Parts: sequence; structure tokens; C-alpha cells
Amino acid sequence: MTDLASIHHDEETQQLERTWSSPPGFFAWFTHVNQTNIGMRFIVTGFVFFILGVILALLMRLQLAVPDNDFMDPETYNQVFSMHGITMMFLFAIPVMEGFAVYIIPLMLGTRDMTFPRLNAFGYYIYLIAGVMMYAALLLKIAPDAGWFSYPPLAGAGFSPGLGLDFYTTVITFMEISALVAAIEIIATIFKCKVPGMSLNRMPIFVWAMLVMSFMIVFALPPLVIASLMLALDRMAGMHFFTAASGDPILWQHLFWFFGHPEVYIIFIPALGMISSIIITFTQRPIFGYIPIVLSIVAIGFIGFGLWVHHMFTAGLPQLGSNFFTASSAMIAIPSGVQIFCWIATLWGSKPKLDTPLLHVLGFFLIFIIGGLSGVMVASVPFDMQAHDTYFVVAHFHYVLIGGAVFPLLGGLYYWYPKFTGRMMNERLGKIGFWVTFAGFNLTFFPMHKLGLDGMPRRVYTYLDGLGWNEANLFISISSAVLALGFLLTLANALISLKRGKTAGDNPWNADTLEWATSSPPPSYNFRHIRIVDSRYPLWSGTGGLEQNPVVTGIRSDRREILLTSILESHPEARQPLPGPSPWPFWLAIATALTFAGLMVHMAIPLLGFLLCFIAITGWIWPKQLGAAK
Amino acid sequence: MSLHADIDASKLPDFSYEFRSPLWWGIVGLMTVEGTVVATLIASFFYLQGNHAAWPPAGTSPPELLLPTLSTVVLLASMVPVYLTDKAFKRGDPKPLAWMPLVSIALALVFLGIKAYEYASHVDFRWDTHAYGSIVWLMIGFHSAHVIAVILKTLVILYLARRRYFTPEKRIAVTVNGLYWYFVAAAWIPLYLTIYLGSRIWS
Amino acid sequence: MSPPQKNAISPKSILPGIVAAIIWLVSAFSPAYASQSALEPGGPLAAAIANLFWGMVVIGGIILFIVLAMLAVALLRARNKTESKPLTFTQSRNLVFISGVVIPALILTVFVISSAAVNREIVAPMPKNALTIKVTGHQWWWEVDYLDTEGNHIAKTANEIRIPVGKPVRIALEASDVIHSFWIPQLNGKTDMVPGKSNLTWVKADRPGSYRGQCTEFCGKQHAKMAFIVDAVPEEDFEAWLQRQAQPAREPVTETENKGRQVFLRSSCAMCHAIRGTSALASVAPDLTHIGSRKTLAAGSLENMPGTLSSWILSPQSFKPGSHMPATVLVGEDLGNLVEYLLSLE
Repeated sequence: MTDLASIHHDEETQQLERTWSSPPGFFAWFTHVNQTNIGMRFIVTGFVFFILGVILALLMRLQLAVPDNDFMDPETYNQVFSMHGITMMFLFAIPVMEGFAVYIIPLMLGTRDMTFPRLNAFGYYIYLIAGVMMYAALLLKIAPDAGWFSYPPLAGAGFSPGLGLDFYTTVITFMEISALVAAIEIIATIFKCKVPGMSLNRMPIFVWAMLVMSFMIVFALPPLVIASLMLALDRMAGMHFFTAASGDPILWQHLFWFFGHPEVYIIFIPALGMISSIIITFTQRPIFGYIPIVLSIVAIGFIGFGLWVHHMFTAGLPQLGSNFFTASSAMIAIPSGVQIFCWIATLWGSKPKLDTPLLHVLGFFLIFIIGGLSGVMVASVPFDMQAHDTYFVVAHFHYVLIGGAVFPLLGGLYYWYPKFTGRMMNERLGKIGFWVTFAGFNLTFFPMHKLGLDGMPRRVYTYLDGLGWNEANLFISISSAVLALGFLLTLANALISLKRGKTAGDNPWNADTLEWATSSPPPSYNFRHIRIVDSRYPLWSGTGGLEQNPVVTGIRSDRREILLTSILESHPEARQPLPGPSPWPFWLAIATALTFAGLMVHMAIPLLGFLLCFIAITGWIWPKQLGAAK
Repeated sequence: MSLHADIDASKLPDFSYEFRSPLWWGIVGLMTVEGTVVATLIASFFYLQGNHAAWPPAGTSPPELLLPTLSTVVLLASMVPVYLTDKAFKRGDPKPLAWMPLVSIALALVFLGIKAYEYASHVDFRWDTHAYGSIVWLMIGFHSAHVIAVILKTLVILYLARRRYFTPEKRIAVTVNGLYWYFVAAAWIPLYLTIYLGSRIWS
Repeated sequence: MSPPQKNAISPKSILPGIVAAIIWLVSAFSPAYASQSALEPGGPLAAAIANLFWGMVVIGGIILFIVLAMLAVALLRARNKTESKPLTFTQSRNLVFISGVVIPALILTVFVISSAAVNREIVAPMPKNALTIKVTGHQWWWEVDYLDTEGNHIAKTANEIRIPVGKPVRIALEASDVIHSFWIPQLNGKTDMVPGKSNLTWVKADRPGSYRGQCTEFCGKQHAKMAFIVDAVPEEDFEAWLQRQAQPAREPVTETENKGRQVFLRSSCAMCHAIRGTSALASVAPDLTHIGSRKTLAAGSLENMPGTLSSWILSPQSFKPGSHMPATVLVGEDLGNLVEYLLSLE
């Protein structure tokens, strides 16, 4: 043990600041690679797309408020509902969850950055370009109009000849690269960058959840990438993967839902991690059932891949197989139940402070359980044949996705906002926002169960008078404004608190994980000292708090360097120099987008794009001092 | 300040190799993603086969075996120089790294040449003829693009090696390039079995 | 996107809207509308599914209530105490194991078995001599063919299906262009119509009546207006109706009808529609041989009356934008004659 006074001096802090800071200026913005910068970009961009998705939903509700409405023509409506799905699933849910992972995980692991900072930046630009392209298409009224699921043959060249579906197929194909690289990066970071002492069984549950999410992305997204590429080739090169003539439209459904069902869990599992974090902090207790919770998350990750056929019960598949998928779909209720009861056991008699983050978690309980129960219902083949593609299913998955993911996400926003910005969000406004959102949500989506069973199909741009759906639709449309108001209050709260919020300090909630052991917002190098931990709740263990903890010395501060540790036990193994700011990730993203989107224009552009990608990758990895080893 | 240090990291190496390196995990992740793509392609091949009485569909003859088998042997052989280079470099012998990758690249180019010849003049279907044509051309295209990519990447490694950028300790880039080469060559085996033998089962 | 219309939602409509909606929620399950509700079954299949649904709702409601009650107890238990009151390890473990694993496993087993039992009923093999109706989905209408037990064609109609009460009817589903889905909520769940494949479903109506069906797989611009009517009638009425449908079109009687037929045959109508017994034999669009006997136009979306029929012929795009039926320009008396002729085809 050495006395640290000798190395803890301001000069080194300033050097760390110089080494890790991102260069200022507009053009330099495109070179930033620090995980806090990129993570925040993912989160902010994700919420911007969320707002756009909500606006599209409100437009739909305006159209459906009264029967035979002509506020939108069918073509516009179809683009709007397709873009609503594409936005919420591809442009909001996955990126925002990844943004939280990218921002928070290195902090929770106690390290200074992720393992591949430039890859992070690349993933962000890919995502941004994809999102901007999709919305440019919508503004030009050439957005995809065959739904986010785009079933061929409707999505094929014969029935959707316009550019809309070309945007869908090409942009979806390369947009998923963003999620894939982030997933690989999160896995490598969790494996190699935990602080010494943070063995796998001491890792925060939030990190476990993000690890499982990343593994799911690695296995779920490639089938979508390849399926959307096949659809693009069907459309543009006359191929026959999904044509009725020689290919098979049902193959698309298998590939799409083999991605699409795990996708739901990719969104939901990070939310589970957020809930555990919030419950631990607000009960000020170790969580009950760390191991069952981790195993449940892993189990959900596995079972999530065995359910995709329940989206296809009406497609005329063999019956025996269908009943198997009923059972596997029902099975997922068990790991979900285990987690819910572990949380209840943790909350039991704990006198928690009912602040906004915890309120959102409690809102999650009600909404998610309803969504889970209706999910078990639609897992039944006969009942699903009635409910499938009606408003019942719309109600069900909004209960699951908004209840299961958006409520915890907003809870997480209130919870980590002080860390992101150094200021607290307004508690009073937060509580009002929660109750308005909660009421608006249930008033909007609960009646949809009934509407669906009354026979109203999904994805209709209008409905006839006299079918008994008028009152419900008007009621839902009005309620959706309440829901939007709730979201607006949270947004306003986040904006106002940026300047006016109470100063937060390092650890305003007295939380247990390492992200609260540094200043708020964290410095560019995250931590002045790399700690050594000896417990699952490092900030709660020991007696003296921050000052009395053992730390790692000898990590260089004159260049970007992080500590690598072993996967299971987190023994220190090596120091890893990290690359700094670079424009190449941006150029590679441009080249990648050109490769895929170029398909829309001419077959030769992808070849050019391939070449440009190679040049960009070479520029990216090219060492600064070549021949230094001579 | 009563901070105390338990670990002095300055004594630790500032490089890592094999599975201790994040880059190794990164490339394993990439290979997992691409392996899933290969699995998806093969699953699609057999799914589409289920729709047809004959596979390849009537009017298309099943593929010949001689050329593709020959090219497969050539591609598998290209892994040998990669292995030898890696082994020698680990031992501390940098010489093979300066020329052996050229042998691998030459073999891979022969493989590509045979493929190009085969699909230009030896098959009687196009990608837009039927579902069989589509999936076979996609598999070949997907794999060939990877062969080209790994050749380009190896050229960059070769150039850097000749400028003595790598040392036996700082060799992770050489290792992962080798791993990726193994992956591209090995991924061809299931594709080969699917396209050439899988097409004969139902023909 | 067009600017929001002022009359889409006006503030004035909000309050009555809320009141109406509350009334609607309260009277939620009263059979006020006979049209398209899965919860008002008209046959044994839909009834079995509705029963399954209500069973699930009751059990699900109990589960929801118990879990939320436990959550409330957890939160309120130490409310007025100075110390928190945690569970012991054993209590927590039992709570998680019993309520999170054992009870759900039991309930889910019962659920899977009851679901499979209802499913078995729905896929039960049909008697060999059951009537078979082939329904083909088109963008955006339904082609309906009646087949005898040997599979021979008896009659063709569109957008309306008539079935005998109390008899099981086999329905063969096909699609000509994109995927559609065939759904009559009051009779059975939906089954997709996939181009290049043939799916089977069946229906049986216990009581005579009109049941509305609608396409439930998104199929393009006019997915919303792709509906149909199923009329369940006593068996003898059904047989008589089928006899009539099998006949070629009735010959014009009046001068107007005769002129109307001339209009039909020389205008663009005959390029897509067939009227059996005349020279119009095209099969791109609904067969109009007995159009006069149908209740609706435009795939269950308009009432079949002289007024609606005339406006439909003149301007289908204003009612069903994107429909494949082009506007037909008819001058003078032609339109009236045509409409009178068509409606005479009973």
C-alpha cells in the first residue's frame, strides 16, 4: 500500500483533462469519441425521434377520432402509421436504450471509456444518417407505406413500386449495423473493463441487463439485416426470395419475427435493469434475489428467441407447432414473475421515498402486469385468431412497450438526469407529469382492448359509421392528447431543469453504484482514480465512503489509457491505450450509407461505396507513428 | 486525502493479446454476427426448397461438383500460411509475416477466379430465374464480398508488417486478421455443403 | 400532408365525447351493435373462443388484483413505523418461489391445456360432404365461389357470402395479389389468405342473421374498406338462393334495362366485370351477374341503392381513393339506364 498523496496532485488532473477532452468547434464535433458524448447523443437523438413518433401517433388519432374522416388520405395515413412503427422500434427504442448503456456502463464499471470509442461514434452517425433519411422521405411524401413489418408481396416491387419501400429496405439494412456495433462494443467493455474486484457476481443488475440485451442484438438483428437485403434485391434486381411465383412470402414473416420478437425483449430487458437500479436505491437495501434476477434476465433472453411464431398463428402453419409456441410464450411469464416478486420482496416494509423515479417503477407494475396478462391471452392460438391484427393487439403491445419500457425509461431519466447534467429535475413537476402520463396512457390504451374485440382491425385509415366504434375512437383520441401532455411535461421538466434545477452533487440519491462516485456531470476522463471494489454495492460498503477506498495507480494520464481486467474475476491484466478523436468514423458512416442507399439509384454505387468503406477503414486504423518500432 | 493504492498498474503491460484483448472479443462478436447471417442464409435455402417439388427447380440442372470442390480445397489451403505466420510470429520470428500472407492472398484469388469462371459460364440460371437462383447467388455474393474484404484487410496488415509496425507482443491486429481469415474460409464449408450437396438431395 | 381540418375534433365535441365514452365503457358489453364483435358469437367456434376469453379475463383479473395488493402491502407495511420491516430471507425466498414460480406454473399449465382444447375444436376435421366456399382475396374485394362436394364450380359472387344456418361450411382461402386475412368475428377467428398458398378455415352459424367480416391483414391503400357480409339463412332458402346464383343473368325486360345493358357492354365496365349470359366475361373485378341481389357495394362499404351505385360508378376514387376501379364517364340517360339494369340483376 502506497500513500497516494504523492500522486494525487492537480497537475495530473489537468493532464487527464487535456488528454481526454474533446476538441471544441463545429467540425471537431464530428471527431468526438468519448463515451459520455456519444452516449448523450444517442439519448438526445432517441428522444427527438420519440417526440416525432408521438406526433405521428397524434396525427393518426386525429384521423381516427371520427368515422369517415378525411383529415388524411389513405396514402398519407399509411406512411404515417408505418413511420410511427419504424420510428418507435428502430429510431427510438433500441438507440435510446443503447445510449443509456453507452453513457452509464463505463461509469458503473468504474472505467474511463469503452473499449472501441471510435466504433461508438461510427454507430451513432449510422443511426443519425438513417433517421434523417427516413424523415426526409416522409417530408417528401415518399416514406414507406407498408408498415414497419412490410410484408411482401405488398412490399414487393409489384404492389409498392415507389421509392418508399426502397428507403425501408436499404435504410433498415444498414441502420442495424449501428445496433450491432454498439452491442459488440458493450459486450467487450463489460467483459474487459470492470474495475478490479468487480467480478461477474458483483456486477450491477443494470449491467447484466445490458449484457443480455447486447447478446440478443447479436443474434436477432442479422436475420433482419439479411431479410431486408433480400427484399431490396427482390425489388431492385428481380430476385425471388419472397415472391409468390417462386419464393415464399411466409419466409419473410419467419425472418422478420425471428428478429421482431426478440426485439421486444431487447427493448424490455434494459428497462428491467433500470427498475432494479431504482428499487435498490430507493429502498436503500441490497436487492433480494440477485442471482434469481440475473438468471431470469438470461432466461428471458433465451426464451425470447423461441416465440416468434406467435406472430404468425393466423398464417396457416401446422397446428401442432402452434401449440408449442403457445407453451413457450406462456413460459416467459415465469422469469418475469420471479423478477416482479423479487422486487416486491425487496420493497416489503422498506419505507421507500416515493420520488418520481420510483413512481414510474410503480406505474410500470400496474401497466406491465396488464400487458403481460393480455400477452399470455394472445399466446393462445384460438384467442389470437380473434385478437390478431385488431386494436386488442395494439392495446397489448403498447401496455408492454410503454408500460414495460417507456415508464422505466422515464424513471431512469429522472434517476440519472442529475448524473447527466449535474442538476435535479423538478420533483413537483415530475410527479404531476407522471400522473398525467399514467392516466393518459391508461385512458388511451385500455379501451383499445374492447375496441379490438368489437372487431376494429389495425392499420385502417378510417372506419365506417354505425359499427359501434365511434365513441371509443373519439374517447381514445381525446385521451391520447392527455398522454401527449404527460410526455410534454416530462420534456419541459428536462429542459427547464437544465438551467434551473437544484444542483445535484455527486450522489443525490445515496445510490450504490460507481457512476455516483464521480462528479455530476462526469469529467471527460470519468474518474480521477480507478477504484478497487469488494462488494456488490461499492458505495455502501465500508465505512468511510469515497476517501477510504483502495485505488489503482500507474495508469498513464498523458495518453488515453484504460485498465483491462479478466472477465470472471476482474483481475488486472494490462493497460490499453485508446484512440482519440477522429473524423474517420463519420466518413465511414457516410460511405456505408452510400453503399446501401446507393442501391436505390444504381447498382454501381454500392461498388463505389465498398471501395470508400475500405479507404475509410484503412484511414481509421492507420497508426499515427508508423515505423516507431524500427 | 487518505486514498491508498493497492494496485500499481504501471507495472502491467500496455498491450494484450488473444482473449485478453478487447479487440479479440470484438472480432469474435463480428464473427458471431456474420455466422448468424450464414445460418440465416442456409435456413432460407432449405425453407425455399420446401416449396418446390424439385430443387433446383425443374429446368435447372444440379451444380457440377468438380470445380467447386477444387476451389474449396484451394480456399481451405489458404488457411495454412495464416496459421504458420501466426505460429512463427508468436515464437518471435517476424520473417514469415513479411511474405506468407501473399501466398494466402494468391490462393484466395485463385478461389475467386474459379468462382467467377464457374458462375459466368458453368451455371444455367441467373439470380432472377427462380428462388433457387436468388439464394445461391446471394450466398456466393455474400461470401465473395467477404473474401475480397479479407484480402484487402490482409494487404494493409502486410504493408504495416513490412514497415515493422508489429512486434510479437503487439500482435493483436495480426491475430484478429488471422482469425477473420479462418472465419471467411471456414464459413465457406457450410455454404459449400448447402449449395453443392444440399442441391443434390432433392434434384 | 394536408393541414388539420377544423372539424376533425372541435372543442365543442370533447365534453359530449367524454360523456358518450363513459356511457360506452359502462355499457361496454351490451349487445347494442349486431355487427362485428367477437364477444357476440353467432356460432359455436366464436362462442368457444369467447368463453376462453372470459375465463382468461377472470383469472387474469384475480392475478392482477392479488399482485397489486401485495405491492400495496409491501409499500404500506412500514408506513407508520420508525424502523423498516424487511422480510426474512426465508420469507422472501418463499414469496418469490411460491408466487413467482409455483403458482404461475400451475396457472399456465391450465391455460395451455384449455387453449389447446379450444384449438382442437377449431381445427376439427370437417365432414366430407360439407359445403365448400372458395374465397379469394383481391385488392380490395372478395371473390366468392361455391363448390359442390366434388369440387365442381356451382356459382360465383363477390363480397357477400350466404351460408345455411346450423351447417358447418368449409372455406378455402386464397389470394390473388397480396396477403389478406379473412375474419368474421362473430363466427370464427381469422385466417390469412396468402398468394401461392391455400388455407382452410370453417364457420358455422347457430342463428340466422347478418355477420360482418373484414380484411385484417394490411393490404395497401384501401385495406380499411375491404369488408364483406355473411348472411346465415335457413337451409331451404340457401338452396334456392344458390340455384338462382348459379343461373346466368336475367334478361332485360324493360326498354331501360335493355339500354342499360348496351351501356354496360360498350363502356369500360365490361373490360373488368363479368355478367354471365352476356358477352362480358372479364374476371379482374367482381362478377356482377346478380349484383341486384347484393346488399352492399365496394366490398361491404356502401349500401347498394340506385343513388350510391350511380355515384360509385361515376367517381369511385372519391369514396375509395386508390381503388382499382376507374371513374366511368357516362352522359345523359346512360347512367340511369345502367343503374336500373344492374339493380334488376337479382
